[in-house]
Amino acid sequence: MNATCNKNRLEASILSGLAKIPFVSGYARTYGWNYVLSWCHRITGIILVLYLWFHLYTLSSLHTPEVYNWKMGIMFMPVIVFFAWLSSIPVIFHALNGGRLILYESFGSRNDESMIRWTLYLCFIYVVILGILIFMENQTVSAVFFWLVMIVASLAAACGVAARVWKSRHTIFWKLQRITGAFLLIAIPAHLLFSHLNPSIAMEADLVIARMQNWFIKIVDVLLALSTLYHAGYGLFSIAEDYIKLRISRVVISGVIVIVSVIFLVVALKIVFTI
Amino acid sequence: MADNYSITLDIKRYDPDTKKTWFQSYKLDAGRILRFVDLFRRINNEQDPSLAWGSSCEHGQCGSCAVRVNGKPLLACELLVENAVKDFGTTKFRVEPISIAPVVRDLVVDLEKAYEKVHRAKPYLIKRAPLPPQSSYYQLSPKEIERYEDATRCINCFSCADACISSHKNFIGPNAAMASIVRLMDPREEEKEERLKLLYSEEGIYRCHSSKACSFVCPKEIDVAHFIALAKEGAFRGDNGE
Repeated sequence: MNATCNKNRLEASILSGLAKIPFVSGYARTYGWNYVLSWCHRITGIILVLYLWFHLYTLSSLHTPEVYNWKMGIMFMPVIVFFAWLSSIPVIFHALNGGRLILYESFGSRNDESMIRWTLYLCFIYVVILGILIFMENQTVSAVFFWLVMIVASLAAACGVAARVWKSRHTIFWKLQRITGAFLLIAIPAHLLFSHLNPSIAMEADLVIARMQNWFIKIVDVLLALSTLYHAGYGLFSIAEDYIKLRISRVVISGVIVIVSVIFLVVALKIVFTI
Repeated sequence: MADNYSITLDIKRYDPDTKKTWFQSYKLDAGRILRFVDLFRRINNEQDPSLAWGSSCEHGQCGSCAVRVNGKPLLACELLVENAVKDFGTTKFRVEPISIAPVVRDLVVDLEKAYEKVHRAKPYLIKRAPLPPQSSYYQLSPKEIERYEDATRCINCFSCADACISSHKNFIGPNAAMASIVRLMDPREEEKEERLKLLYSEEGIYRCHSSKACSFVCPKEIDVAHFIALAKEGAFRGDNGE
């Protein structure tokens, strides 16, 4: 009876806004909103993995300040900036919905209605704030100060989850997925936010080089590269495990994921340590 | 609320002899409180005796009449025509067999195959705890039973497995996982280790992504995802480093 009550309350609060999207609401009526959100989580995850690989590949090709400045000239064209702003939607949704799943699975939080509502509200707030900052183009903040605050917050979230799951019987890979997830929940939206505070922060090669030569920023970048590539790799592995029946195929796919992740890690470390 | 509805059922047929699959349309005038099993029976009697479907108790207790109606797994014996029209907002229904096991014919699936996973989860006490001294029975407090009583209402209709986001290729399935979790929560069960090994295996809880479709479609309104999440949380003896 309680389950039915919660189901109805959840639908009442969320369906009203989203039920107008025919395809989505059809799935929601059949399998529930959690199911729709899970598919969105999976799809945004795949989009973000592809984007991460593309991002690292693009950065690795920027050998000289001239090439970098030329490329950033394109990246800061209004249309591209608009798409960069749109790309924040899958980023923040994946981050917050992942946080919701960690709360549900590891912290016993069962208030679905409230958690889903807050996930959607916070996504909206973040996207609007990012849009305003992109539009203003004039915020200046010290990179070390910004990342010091954000890394402390990210590590605190990661430690909180680690303390909760570390002693459990789960595999180390599953635990690391949750721990990196908690870390990235803050670190990646922060990375996006920092990139758009002021175009000159990312646009001018000299400023970027000076920032990336700072040892603390190097540590931040290494942490970001390690955690995103691990999280992406395990996410892909988890999807493959769901759908590929043949064990040998699963082993081959897992091997490919590991190799690709290591290649991109080497690329990322090369970027960090050759500047 | 109308007394009669003109219903169209597009039923997925499968002929094991020719291996052919097709949708066949049946039109019926049906009273509002007829159930979908009644509609299938009427099709057999009035239109097509070759349509195969399964049922046993027809009181929502055996789970053998589970089918997909407009994509949603449910019990055909519990679905009234008027509720179907109201819930799906149409009088046209696509009826398919659930996807958890190979189809034997039309709407009938190989339940023996589906049950293999439940059997692997050993839905019984593997090793009973010794009886309390000078007692011939176990006494469980209401508080103890309350923790897992809901899960004991599972009838293994496999609706949850059908709806699960992780597919049924490698996951033991929500119902089978819950069958093991119930016994983990049962103080009379002493064999926790074997159960934990299954739950923390490749086919265990790692395949669950908390999409909660299992809880949403469960005809017995069991919050299946809650029990699986308890295992993920490490709520049982021995799975939290204890």
